[in-house]
Amino acid sequence: MANSAAPGPVPARTATIDRLALREPIFVSDLHLCAQRPRTLQRFLALLGEIGGNAAELVILGDLFEYWAGDDTLASEGGQAPGGEDPGADDRVGVEVAQALRRIASRNTNVYLMHGNRDVLLGAQFVQDAGAQLLADPAIASIGTQAAPARAGLATLLAHGDAYCTLDLPYQAFRRQARDAQFQAAFLARPLAERRQLIGQARALSETSKRQLAMQIMDVTPEAIAQAMRSAGVRHMIHGHTHRPARHDFLLDGAPATRWVLPDWDLDATPPRGGGLRWSAGELRTLSL
Amino acid sequence: MVRLHTNHGVIGIELDAERAPKTVENFLKYVRLGHYDNTLFHRVINGFMIQGGGFEAGMRQKPTAASVENEATNGLRNTKYTVAMARTSDPHSATSQFFINVADNDFLNHSAPSGQGWGYCVFGKVVEGIDVVDKIKSVRTSRSGGHQDVPEEDVLIERAEADA
Repeated sequence: MANSAAPGPVPARTATIDRLALREPIFVSDLHLCAQRPRTLQRFLALLGEIGGNAAELVILGDLFEYWAGDDTLASEGGQAPGGEDPGADDRVGVEVAQALRRIASRNTNVYLMHGNRDVLLGAQFVQDAGAQLLADPAIASIGTQAAPARAGLATLLAHGDAYCTLDLPYQAFRRQARDAQFQAAFLARPLAERRQLIGQARALSETSKRQLAMQIMDVTPEAIAQAMRSAGVRHMIHGHTHRPARHDFLLDGAPATRWVLPDWDLDATPPRGGGLRWSAGELRTLSL
Repeated sequence: MVRLHTNHGVIGIELDAERAPKTVENFLKYVRLGHYDNTLFHRVINGFMIQGGGFEAGMRQKPTAASVENEATNGLRNTKYTVAMARTSDPHSATSQFFINVADNDFLNHSAPSGQGWGYCVFGKVVEGIDVVDKIKSVRTSRSGGHQDVPEEDVLIERAEADA
């Protein structure tokens, strides 16, 4: 449990769930919440207000936040960032989102949270503050589970999605490192100001290299998807990460299979983007904002 | 046979030592050590499963012994009223926690010997007190101590007994 007296924030590696039954879930991912995108934050908070108590589950498949420097930002008073901007603004976003998630969790909407590539350092404290449960990546959900008559739902693989961008070798090397427990512990042991600075540098680099790479490298590879679904024994999958919202119907080993890709959110862009998926009346439907 | 004496009645579980030898041995070890006495069914999801064997009242987690190999390749399926080992996302991490399926949960079965495909090892089935399981699966639940789907009133395994 999260009552340790360790000096740094505690990574949330333990106690993850990899199988779950969902009754009437809403799926979102890639919200990239931060103080710089106030409309996106407001729309997400409004969505939480709308679904509080009305959806059985909210499932967040990664990249809830634009970045996460460690759970100690939840208690941080801000301080001065080297670049002059106010890191306290993003810290307040984290606190506000945790409180909003906790409100719907206390109204019996179960909140499930998966790490993305940007917020892989979301830790035990945030998960607890948000009243959420951490999902393994990938996890398998039975969607549309019914109590009476007892019926299992649609077996569906849930993932952030970055693990299947297998052609992006440098990214996969980074991903392995970022998810390594020792690397995380060492990183979190650095002072918060230093972590903010390192994350800022990494994000600047990532933006540059993204612009230079051919677009297809950034998408998932069909072989990796097929392998993951085969291994999990499922014919349905939901993921985010690629910012290419779609429903892909295809043949997996000769039988029909479906992969849904969640949209990213940016309500501050023109045109605004966002949304998700909702299980309703026995099927997955697009959730428009 | 193992009998779980709960505050809702007795659940009799027939173990399949032939198909899941290591898992059954592991389970019986915890039974004989008295590990399950005064533990909770702490995760109850009607339509899915009821899970217990790891927490005492107040959601205090009990220490466990080393984990047991996942024998989910044994062909036993997670059908209604079968009993299987709970674990973390590491396939071979089961210790004391187990669950009783209250639906046919095909998605928990073994599909491949890697990562997500390992599945959950069935090692027995409920042969007495199905009505007790049905009572437990229907209790009211809420969030407690960082966990979801926790019964609002404790569902307690007062003691567990093994035949012979």
